[in-house]
Formats: sequence, C-alpha cells, structure tokens
Amino acid sequence: MPSNMRLRSIFLAPAVFVMIALFVVPLLITLAYSFLTRGPYGGVFTPWTFENYQRALDPLYLVILWRSVWLAAVSTLFCLILAFPVALYIARAERNKALLLNLVMLPFWTSFLIRTYAWMFLLRDTGLVNVALEGLHVIHAPIPLLFNDGAVVLGLVYGFLPFMVLPLYATLEKLDPALLDAACDLGATPWVALWRVIVPLSKPGIAAGCVLVFIPCLGAYLTPDLMGGGKTVMLGNLVQSQFTTARDWPFGAAISLLLMLIVLVVARALEKQSEKLL
Amino acid sequence: MNRRIFLMGVAGATLGCTSNADRRINIYNWENYIAASTLPDFEREFHCRVRYATYGSAEEMLAKVMSGNSGWDVVFPSNSFVEPMRQLGLLAPLDHRRLTNLDNLDPLFRTPEWDPSLSFSVPYMHSATGIVYSQSVSRPPLSWADLWADSYSRRVTMLDDPAEVFAACLKRLPASINSGNDRELERARDLAIRQKPLLRAYLNEEVRDQVVAGDVLAAQMWAQVAQVAIDNAPNLAFAFPSEGFAVYADNCSILRESKHQDLAYEFLNYLLRPAVAAAIANEMRSATCNAAARELLPETQRQNAVLYPHSDVLARGEWFRPLPTAVQRLRDRYWTEIKSS
Amino acid sequence: MRRFLSVYAGAAYLFLYLPLAVLSAFSFNSSKIATWRGFTFDWYRSVFHNRALLEGTVNSLIIAFAATVASTVIGTLAGYALWKKRSPWLTNALYMSLLAPEIVTGVALLALFQWAFRFGHLRLGLHTVILAHISFSLVYVVIVILARLRTFDPALEEAASDLGANRWQVFRHVTIPLLLPAILAAALLCFTVSFDDYVITSLVAGVDSETLPMMIYAMARKGVSPEVNALSAMITVGLGVLILVASRLERS
Repeated sequence: MPSNMRLRSIFLAPAVFVMIALFVVPLLITLAYSFLTRGPYGGVFTPWTFENYQRALDPLYLVILWRSVWLAAVSTLFCLILAFPVALYIARAERNKALLLNLVMLPFWTSFLIRTYAWMFLLRDTGLVNVALEGLHVIHAPIPLLFNDGAVVLGLVYGFLPFMVLPLYATLEKLDPALLDAACDLGATPWVALWRVIVPLSKPGIAAGCVLVFIPCLGAYLTPDLMGGGKTVMLGNLVQSQFTTARDWPFGAAISLLLMLIVLVVARALEKQSEKLL
Repeated sequence: MNRRIFLMGVAGATLGCTSNADRRINIYNWENYIAASTLPDFEREFHCRVRYATYGSAEEMLAKVMSGNSGWDVVFPSNSFVEPMRQLGLLAPLDHRRLTNLDNLDPLFRTPEWDPSLSFSVPYMHSATGIVYSQSVSRPPLSWADLWADSYSRRVTMLDDPAEVFAACLKRLPASINSGNDRELERARDLAIRQKPLLRAYLNEEVRDQVVAGDVLAAQMWAQVAQVAIDNAPNLAFAFPSEGFAVYADNCSILRESKHQDLAYEFLNYLLRPAVAAAIANEMRSATCNAAARELLPETQRQNAVLYPHSDVLARGEWFRPLPTAVQRLRDRYWTEIKSS
Repeated sequence: MRRFLSVYAGAAYLFLYLPLAVLSAFSFNSSKIATWRGFTFDWYRSVFHNRALLEGTVNSLIIAFAATVASTVIGTLAGYALWKKRSPWLTNALYMSLLAPEIVTGVALLALFQWAFRFGHLRLGLHTVILAHISFSLVYVVIVILARLRTFDPALEEAASDLGANRWQVFRHVTIPLLLPAILAAALLCFTVSFDDYVITSLVAGVDSETLPMMIYAMARKGVSPEVNALSAMITVGLGVLILVASRLERS
C-alpha cells in the first residue's frame, strides 16, 4: 500500500536529516582530517597523505586495541550481571516502577568526574573501604584497591550501569509474569526458570544493553586515567591524547576511523548469526 | 501621573542595564587564577560585564581559539604557546602606550625569552615543577633520581603530562628539557619505563589530597599546588631537584579577533596594578610576576621559598620551548610506549 | 526469588549511591581538602551566590530538555519505521555515531559549525550545543525503542488495521501506548547522556553557553571540591524530591 511507504518515509525523514547533517558530514570531515597532515601546534593542513593509517597499524597500537577490547568486554559482562536482577526487580515491581527507574538514573545527573573522585576517596589506602576492612580485622594492611585494572573495571561498570538497566527494563517490562509462574508450576526451580525462560526472551534487551555499554567503554578515557592512575593506555586515552597533548588531529582521526570500522564490521558479522540490533 | 512616572522609571532602569551590558569582555583563563574580588571590582570600575570561563590545558584553549571566531577577548597562554599562537596569527600586537602599569613587572620578566619585547604577551604568574614530599621519609627526595628509589615502596607519583615526565628524565641524563635528540629521548623513555613499576600512578593535581592524607609520600608536582598542600599539612615540604627542573609562566594576551580591545587593554592594565595582582597571588597562593605586587604581600608569602625561589635555585630552572613537529611526534610515540608498558 | 531480587536490588542501589553519600558528607566539610575538619554550611551559601554556576545549571537544563524532546520524538518515529523495514544506511550511520569517540565528534562538529558560520553571522551558542546533543543521543533512543519493538506481537497491529484503522491510527492508538514505557526509558537515557556531557559540549559551546559539567570540571579538576559537592548534593536532593512528588501525584 502506498500509504505505508509514505508513512514510513515521513517517519524516517527527520532521523535521516539529522544523521546526514550532524553526523555524516562531520564524519566526512573526520575522514578528510585523517588524510591530512598535522600542524605544528594542532589543526590540520595539506599535504594529503596515507601516513596516518600506516602509523596506526603499528603493533604498539594493536596491543592497546586488544587491551581495551578485553577490559571493555569484562566490564560489560559485570555490568550485565549487576544490572539484570535490578532491571528484573523494577520490571516486576507492582507499583513505583517509574520511581525506581528514576532512582537508578538520579546519581547520573551529577557530574561523573566528581563521582569518580568520590570513588578514589573511598578506595584509596586511607579510604573508607580499607579503613573499614582493617577495623573489622579482615586485613592487616591496606589492599591496593585503586590504580589498577580492577579499579578501572569498577569505574566502568559504575559509569555505564544505567545504559544496561534501561534497555533491559524496556524488554523485561513487557514479559508476562505468568510465564515465570507457569515454568515454576511445571516443576522448574526459580533459577532454572530464570535461565531457561526469562533470559532467552529478553535477548534483545541484553544485546542492546551490551552494545550500549561495550562501545562507549572502548572510548572511555576519564576512568582509566583517574581510577587506573594513568598507567594503562586504552583506546579512549589514545584518541583523547592525540587531540590534546600530542596535538596530532589527523592521527587521532585515523585511529578513530579504524576503530569504528573494525567494531562495525565485527558487530554486523555477529548480528548475522544472532538477533539483529539495529 | 504616577503610572507614567513608574513606566519612565522602568524604561530608564532598563536603559541603564543595557548600557552596562553593552560593554562586555570575555576572558578565558586557567582555573584558580583570579581572586573573588578581582572581577566584581573591575566590573564596577569600568561599568561593564565580564564573562569569565576557565580551561584546564593550553591545548584546550588553543583548539577553541584556533578558528579565529571563538568570541573570547583575553586569554592566558603559557610561555611555550605564545610563539605558536603568534605564528598562527591569533594574538593582537600590544601597544605599550596603553599599558601604563607595565613597569610593575619583575625585571626577570621584562624581556622573557619567549617574547623579548613583550609585543604579544604580558607575564602574569609563574611556577615551577618539583617534588612535594612528606618529611616523614628517611631520605628526602632532593633530586629527580631519588624518585627512582625502591625505598618509597610504590608511594610515589609523577605528573600525567609527557612534557613533565620527559623533563624529569632528561634532567637526570643530563640533557635539556626541550631536547629533540633521538638518543637522549630514547634514554629518557627507558628511564621512565624503568620507573613505572615503582610508581603508584600518573596523576596531576588530583593527587594533592592523597599527599595531604599520607597515602603518597612523594609526588612530582607544580609549586603552586604543592604550596596549597603544604598549607593544609605542615609536615609536607617541597624540593627543587638538584639536577634542574622546568619553570614556566602564564601570560595574558589579547586575541586579534577581539571586538572589545579597549576593555581588554583596561583589563590587562588592571591586572598589572600592584593591589590587584597582590590580592590574586595571596588568595590563590600563586607566584606573581609583578614586583610591585610582591612588595604588598605579607612577609611569609613574599619570602616563601616554594613560590619565589632564590635566584641561585632559579638558575637551575629551564623554560619550556615549543618543539618542532617531528620531535613532538617522537615524544608522543615514546609516551604511548611508556604508558602501555 | 522475590527476596533475592529485593536484596540484590538494594545492594545495587547502595552501590549506586555510595559515592553520592560520600560527597554529600564532604559538602559539609570546612576544609577545602578531603580530610575532615569541621561542619559548615558555607559551601552551600557560596553556591547560591555564584551567579555563573546557577546560569550554567539553567543552560544545562535547557539543553537537556530540548535535546531530549527532539531526540525522543525523532528516534521513536525512526525506530518504528526501522522495525517495519530495515534501512542499512541509517542503521550503519546510527551505529557509527555510537562508536565515534566523543572528542572526534566534538572536533568534527566544531569544524562543521565554524564552516557553516561563514555563510551567516552566527556564533557558537546554546543552539549548536543542542544540535550536537541531538546528533549523539539519537542512537540511544532508537536502540531502546527497537529492543522493545522486537518483543512486540505484530498481531496487535494487524488486528487493529483489520478493524479498519489506517496506518497512522494504528500507530497512534495501538503502538504508542504499548511503547510508552520504552519511550520514557529512552527519554530518561537521553536526558542523562545530555545533562552530564562534557567533551562535545565544551568544544561546541559558545562564550555565553557554559554548561554545568564544564563549570564542574573546571572547579573540580584539582580534586574533591566542597562547593561542587554542595551543588551536586543539592541537585540530587532537589531532583529526588521532584521525582518522589511526581510518583505520588501519578498514583493519586
């Protein structure tokens, strides 16, 4: 029916316009930057060159890519484990669903930077956590809770929790509570019911949440710098530094584009096998 | 009758407001570089409104200003940025006849190496990079080499700034902090990689609280931040390393794109007033380049060895210089190698 | 199971609010450094006298609301259309907007705006920030909406159209009410992403459009800063009261 197509085109039009004007064009600008040469103090100038891409394929940067992917994957997994029961709890709450959801988001309306500082305060050697553990005689000397990979994962999980909770909630809310009851009636324990019934049905939400967490984790720079003590370089730090201290915008553009390309290709390949996401 | 008077009064008041708001000046500065009273006093005296924003790094400021259409009037580049900004055509040449208070500057800053005739910048505050440490350590770290010692058991931090870390390593070699020599930079990189397992973290001013609390025993730190830490924890001390160290100065400049050049000159002149500069230096614990202002400071501040080191100490200091592209690229690559080792 | 979920959720909320509790406690600290000195309300007083800070908060709220409304509307419509029939170009573009590191987007948008401004006497300002926020938050809306739509039973829509409704009526009276939780979730996500954005905003903001994150980053770069803590505590409590009141009103 022609009216179908027209409605669909009308619905798509604003999004297409926004993406073309405010994303595709800047992307083309970034592409152009990646083939230009850096100015001595930042900025870009001709001559055009492939050099930035050649530099990006150096093993040094591939190691950074691998480490970032690993840390992002671990963080996403922990985030999922932490967020799923919360989303389930909110979805099954009889009243106050919106309130509970808002309460999840509320902390994230204050600056991420100062919440990270608060974590640094809590986790350092003389911080509350160590002091409490020592006071309870669980440990005798402060354990290094900060400035290592574990702290980075904690920071990333904390920072992206709502991005996992919200899509999960959006899918779980739709599920009929009777499904769980039916499974239990048929003899399944709650755990089995959860694992074999609810989780498969909420796959779109899980996939959405994982993407919304994993990808920004790759680009995170503040958390590795502060929680990790600046001792590891993740992709986010690398790109950030190219546009700030290193003042090499073309190289930063090249790395970013390569990263985007790799992740896009892998994601599309995975999608072919499982649920489509977008 | 009353209503008409009221309406005229309102109209008059709004006119008054707009005439004030017409005179605007937009100032872009580092954080913590202005006293609470500086801007309100300026606004009152010159009947204008000040838009004041801050940045955390010179690169951030440069990125915004480079387009030539940023809207800012006065910026505060560090000494190694003045020449690059001048080359990019971003700075307005300064007319000394309009800067009547220029003589208040300390002789040390009248002909600085980055702008000998002060044609584009006016020195504002200066500082240096050294080591802040807790006096409880058995051997005070008086040289950069001491930060490589095992005795601190990972309670040492360095700045998360490639220029500063390289400066410390290069001084150990010894070499200039602005070195572009491949061999020297390679050795500096190796030194830094050797130090990394001994470090707690690479942190900037965020480490201040941890130094005060005693988590960190020694940290590479800027003198101004160190002084604030010392004020809060008297058991701390600051050392200017014996091998040499980096010194730097922030300067005020007027942007060529500025549409409020008159007010900008007034502001620069205003900052050069002894009373104003002294108020800022006192409140922010920063070291002013203004000799007349320094005279007005309380005795303890004036003779403070951390903020105003003695001239033979200062003789060991070296100014940062802008570096050619190839050297910057090499340093950046080495910095990435250090960080991911 | 219920009990386990409640306990787990409670622990998760504790985890979420722990840093907030810490910085609220320190907003009463009379020392500027993170070691307890004494109790004081001074920092709260100074926040109210800080005209620039209040302006920044207002700016942030305006930007977040405008961007959220625009993104949610555009994104919901687009999500629905994509559910009906795929569009590889749009989906790839949306994906990539999620992948792009913030600083790259920011620098590129800045370049775009500066180039566009040559054709008019425009400057960077609130409008450029809102546009930038729409561009990066759109993908969040689409992903959440699509995740919900995928669990949707198409039979509902078919039934409605069998009963004589046209496409638009089906969308408006059947689909949207069922999508409402997802739309609200998406709007919430959008608002959060926009309100605390720093990198992109700081690059495309004009002289007069400083936002709260920009000011907080400036004030807090040196470490825990009591004024910023006071402000954050006030925002949290203020918004918390707001949502409590809203939920009470909704129930009654």
